[in-house]
Amino acid sequence: MGSDILEISINAIKLIVIFLLMVQLVPFLVWVERRGSAFIQNRFGPNRVGPLGLLQLLADAIKFLWKEEFVPQKGRAFLFYAAPVVALLPGALAFAAIPLSVPVYLEKFELFGQTWGPYRIAIQGYELGIGIVFVLDASSLGAYSLLMAGWGSSNKYSLLGALRASAQVISYELSLGLSLVGVLLLYQSFDFSDIISAQVGPLSFFFAGHDVKVPFLPNWGIFYQPLGALLFFAATFAETNRLPFDLPEAESELVAGYHTEYGGLKMLMFYIGEYGHMLVASALMVTFFFGGYHIPFISIEGVRTFFLDHGFSLNGSNLLTSLVFHLVFLLKVLFFLWVFIWVRWTLPRFRYDQLMDLGWKVMLPWALCNTIVTALVLLVAKEARF
Amino acid sequence: MEGLLFYILAAFILVFSLAVIVVANPIFSALFLVLSMISLAFMFFLLQAYFIATVQLIVYAGAVMVLFLMVLMLFDLKKEIDIFSSGQRLGGLKIASAGLLTGLLLWSIHYSIGLFQLQPEKVLDAQGQMEQTKTLSVILFTKYLFAFEALGFLLLLIAIGVVALSRIKGGTHARD
Repeated sequence: MGSDILEISINAIKLIVIFLLMVQLVPFLVWVERRGSAFIQNRFGPNRVGPLGLLQLLADAIKFLWKEEFVPQKGRAFLFYAAPVVALLPGALAFAAIPLSVPVYLEKFELFGQTWGPYRIAIQGYELGIGIVFVLDASSLGAYSLLMAGWGSSNKYSLLGALRASAQVISYELSLGLSLVGVLLLYQSFDFSDIISAQVGPLSFFFAGHDVKVPFLPNWGIFYQPLGALLFFAATFAETNRLPFDLPEAESELVAGYHTEYGGLKMLMFYIGEYGHMLVASALMVTFFFGGYHIPFISIEGVRTFFLDHGFSLNGSNLLTSLVFHLVFLLKVLFFLWVFIWVRWTLPRFRYDQLMDLGWKVMLPWALCNTIVTALVLLVAKEARF
Repeated sequence: MEGLLFYILAAFILVFSLAVIVVANPIFSALFLVLSMISLAFMFFLLQAYFIATVQLIVYAGAVMVLFLMVLMLFDLKKEIDIFSSGQRLGGLKIASAGLLTGLLLWSIHYSIGLFQLQPEKVLDAQGQMEQTKTLSVILFTKYLFAFEALGFLLLLIAIGVVALSRIKGGTHARD
């Protein structure tokens, strides 16, 4: 929580800001998705309202607010209303557990005529020692909102979408979890901060009695776990119900799947949930395999001394350093969000049996194989340091 | 503060668990079971058993109950409900088996107190949480290895048995 009233309020505000960050990314991503798909398909996309069509989002938001409010006649009203709210939870819970930047150290300073003690503020909703398992937990709860929506709508298309969704989420959760075991073995920690701080500097490791150093590559997880990264990224597509795994909504077969009966703001909440999932998936990808918030070949101290040399105070330069690393983190995350959108408009949807074959017969064995190979290599390279 | 949280969570668990057996609709019953599982996971968090808490969430709330809900939604449950709730004659047997199960649970709780005491008085930081996980896995793969493997084998047997049972005549997946 915090030692005094200021620290407690900073921590409380931090949680709200991180949630709002997730929510506020949605309109922007919807715009990127539309413009990006138009770009890929050689169309214009929304370009009439405001500069570059940016105000289209505002118009959409107003439209969503004024839609008619209804529950299907034979629907279960409680489940029908609860499902969109539950859809927001997994993304929000998981995203708050991921460190977004360098922790800020604040020395003693004067504010409101009082001296406030030295603080260490982590740019993260809450710090958990078992962060990775917690994030997997939170995202595994995502299937319930789809199931509740499917059952609450009392519509056959919705129900079929919900059933497909739960089968898919269970199948791919296995490969998702297993593809991360390699990372856990490598860094020997469940803590995001440990994993991120292990990826600083140029690529260097200790293997079978030799110190190997590759000065032109950063020390990122992708170079140790390429297969793990690929499997993880593919499984997150299934977890977020994005194309090519969007069987739960499959508009050509199921109208709109689990959210057939939804409209207006409730529909929007499902969208926020989906984009929140994408955001978490990209952030995890960056954290595990692409060095988290670190900039390759530039140390935190380097950035801090740069600001100190340019006449900022100690607290000011600490804050600015954190801001710089946060922007770098966001940049990396945005790249992976763009990959999500790019893939959506490039690959066709799987057939259902192909989806299950890929999950159980291809990805699961490869993830197991990756785990065993990683464990064996770590055993061979006794006292391996990464 | 923690005492208050304990009572709130305990109340949640009791209410949700009661709802599981009182509610008539099996879908709602399963959803209440999910809620009570989640409350139980938070109880573990409160006890600083972080690893058990997350495993509880990931395995029971995240995987097993999703499967349950899916299966409940797939089948037409009217016949099963009729068969299961027509137990005037079998009532005594049901109560007796419930009593047997309660006795078994109480016995196992009574004899397993003090089995998993992992540095109870220490407040665990990130390092401590990792240590706790390590200790747990070490005793699981050394001292309790046989029990662990035997349980796994038992689960496999149950899975095969269920497949066999569901394919006999009159079962849900009968071959004609």
